Amino acid sequence: MSSEFEISRSITIGQYVPTGSFIHRLDPRIKLLVFVILVVAIAFNTSYFGNAIGLVLSLYLFWASKIPISYGLSGVKPAIPFIVILAVLQLLFQGQLFSDGRVYVDYGFVLITSESIRLVVVSAVRFIEIIFLSSVLTLSTSTTELTHSIQSLLSPLKKIKFPVHEISLITTIAIRFVPTFAIEMEKMMKAQASRGADFGTGGWWRIVQRTKEMFPIIIPLFNIALSRAEDLILAMESRCYTPGGERSSYSVYKAIAKDYLVLLVGLFFSLLLLFYPFPF
Amino acid sequence: MTGRPIIEIENLSHTYMKGTPMEHVALKGANLYAEEGECIAIIGHTGSGKSTLIQHFNGLMRPESGKVIIDGEDLSKKKVDLKTLRQKVGLVFQNPEDQIFEKLIGDDIAYGPFKLGLPIKEVRERVKWAMDVVGLDFEEIKDRQTFALSGGQKRKVALAGILALKPKILVLDEPTAGLDPKSRKELLDKIKRLNKDEKLTVVFVSHNMEEVAMLADRVYVMAGGTDVLTGTPKEIFTDKEKLQHHQIGTPETVQVLYKLTDLGYQVNTEAFSVLEAAEEIMKVLAGKKEGSEHVQRI
Amino acid sequence: MEPIIRLENVSFSYKINEKTKVSVLKNISFSIFPGEYVAIIGHNGSGKSTLSKHLNGILTPDSGDVWVHGHNTKDVNKKRSIRQAVGTVFQHPDNQIVATIVEEDVAFGLENIGVPREEMKKRVDEALNVVKMSPFRHRPPHHLSGGQKQRVAIAGVLAMKPDCIVFDEATSMLDSFGRKEVLQVMRKMNNMGMTIITVTHHMSEAAEADRIIVIEGGQIVMDGPPREIFKHKLELENLQLEVPSVSQMAEVIHSQFNTFSKDIIQENEFIEEVEKFHKEEVGT
Repeated sequence: MSSEFEISRSITIGQYVPTGSFIHRLDPRIKLLVFVILVVAIAFNTSYFGNAIGLVLSLYLFWASKIPISYGLSGVKPAIPFIVILAVLQLLFQGQLFSDGRVYVDYGFVLITSESIRLVVVSAVRFIEIIFLSSVLTLSTSTTELTHSIQSLLSPLKKIKFPVHEISLITTIAIRFVPTFAIEMEKMMKAQASRGADFGTGGWWRIVQRTKEMFPIIIPLFNIALSRAEDLILAMESRCYTPGGERSSYSVYKAIAKDYLVLLVGLFFSLLLLFYPFPF
Repeated sequence: MTGRPIIEIENLSHTYMKGTPMEHVALKGANLYAEEGECIAIIGHTGSGKSTLIQHFNGLMRPESGKVIIDGEDLSKKKVDLKTLRQKVGLVFQNPEDQIFEKLIGDDIAYGPFKLGLPIKEVRERVKWAMDVVGLDFEEIKDRQTFALSGGQKRKVALAGILALKPKILVLDEPTAGLDPKSRKELLDKIKRLNKDEKLTVVFVSHNMEEVAMLADRVYVMAGGTDVLTGTPKEIFTDKEKLQHHQIGTPETVQVLYKLTDLGYQVNTEAFSVLEAAEEIMKVLAGKKEGSEHVQRI
Repeated sequence: MEPIIRLENVSFSYKINEKTKVSVLKNISFSIFPGEYVAIIGHNGSGKSTLSKHLNGILTPDSGDVWVHGHNTKDVNKKRSIRQAVGTVFQHPDNQIVATIVEEDVAFGLENIGVPREEMKKRVDEALNVVKMSPFRHRPPHHLSGGQKQRVAIAGVLAMKPDCIVFDEATSMLDSFGRKEVLQVMRKMNNMGMTIITVTHHMSEAAEADRIIVIEGGQIVMDGPPREIFKHKLELENLQLEVPSVSQMAEVIHSQFNTFSKDIIQENEFIEEVEKFHKEEVGT
């Protein structure tokens, strides 16, 4: 039996699992870039064949990252009800929009065609592919590497005076404080429960009551966040931080031949998925 | 002390995130026993399992394996009336002032009693009593704004918020951390009073050995998720090797006495207060020169 | 010798609303010289924390001036060099770590002042070495203990190569072990020539310093070496400050054996005094 309050430990954002695999050792910028183009390609591919390739590819990448498969599955598991509901809704109501192909059911407003079935299957598989791909990315890349990569991918925007440094610093700080706040929130829930507070009583439809129940948590957390922010600003200023000022960078990445090779392979698959006319 | 057991913990274990790569053993066969009216201190290094242990007292964590019996009720059974349990065991977290959320002091203290579903008159009585115990004037302070209080006062308000539940057992996690000497002393006096006059069973976690020496009837030393040493403060603080082994400090006075014993002086290290320790040393210094029976209190 | 920091008639008040102001610092003057180890003590609300925020221009006085290396903290153009010269380690270990990895946090200040990368690497290595945190350089900060986090914060300041570090109640959130770790680092840095200012209400910490400034009601009430300060036991108690246990013990013993010195502030001194006294007794 475990506790009802274990939030801080079940948060998986930034849950980097260092296995030292070849995926882990890739230049994080290239990794992020390949991830983005693959996701885009998968999102636009509607063929069975293409998605089969996508699925195999994402499972392969997961395997190659040497992360226990239970991790990938634990990412998929919570999404299952969502995928099922979406599939049922699509199956029932999307037929009218995709009425081409063989008609299987035509009853009232419900129209099920071979095309609408394809849509249902493909979007479910697509979902799983994307979950696996994002798991590979976040489990094999530290948050620091991620923010640096975002920063360097955005850096061309500096030319149009987009505050790239600031955005990436804000992201870093936000990620930095996720575990801290999870711990804080867990402590607060426990502290208020010790005073007799109960959370999640009364069904979800009793929104007002449930919102009220959250006040004893949210108000203190808000106060804590504010005072932390205040402290943090002082600490940053004391270390010579000036908003918008020129800064140098501690982490520098250098892509090597292997990274470019991965980029090429990624590009190849993306273009394949985007433009190749798969037969079915 | 009545001799009636009120907390019985046997062979308690807990592992966080079991079955994942983040698995972390917090408790491994821990034991703790307290009689009604006792004052128990738990000491130990950060990460020794103290916090996980005390969260089992009021059912915030349920026993994974092992036995937890609070006031005769076995918490390892499936159905436990958590509301009654949490009323009976008042758990005060570290920096409890953080949990204050109402605008007015009186309202915040009344939160617990209201949650118990008590009539308004009873709630008022309890708030008044709780404020009285911690040394806040009911009429003067109840309608003040919570944010305008000093750190020490906020902590008193938070403590009152728990006391208003009228618990039989008061559990405190580092009650004086971050307070200045004056507020610290005040708070310790209140806790002592609750234990001695109101007959509450008190369990507290502390890093401050002076506090432990002053307050506790018995001490549990935790290390690596289990209790490694138990006894009265006197017994604990004289076990120098074990304390050092578990990286536990001693009161400054005892530290001096230890050093003197190392140098071959025959001092009794069971003295914690400045006066006691000084008397011990004087006994040795007097040595051949008799006649230092009465020491003036300064 | 030129002082690093010089305060001249500094007064400061917090504005609560349009009408009311609370005066926190009243006409404070003192100087801090290179290599000093100074403790500023006072109970909560005495103004010591506000004072510490004046030392590197986070706050500037309403009247009077603070000079750091001859630069007035009111001079906006000198802000950067002032903060480079006087670094601060704050109270809350969690609220001063910016990055998601230890070494990157240590580099944060260096990135801000635009130190070139090679130099940065070197300085981060050195700073982590001084605080003995090198083995943790790739760890995320939330896996560290309080004392370790404070040591990371110290490394972050140290890497900026300041002339002086202010510890603003930097040990108050730590357990006795964490406190010891931090105090050791402070002592070590002072031995290396760093000027240290520590703001605290722990008397045993203040006893470590070469000089103590006692603040009460926004004013300096005592300023001198610990030995002098701790002689005023009654006054300190009136200020809700306690002298270290060993001083108290020495005083008790002195009241019985007047040849036993009562001017004792540190443990080893106390032990030495017992030994000395004992020998003399045996000798006679």
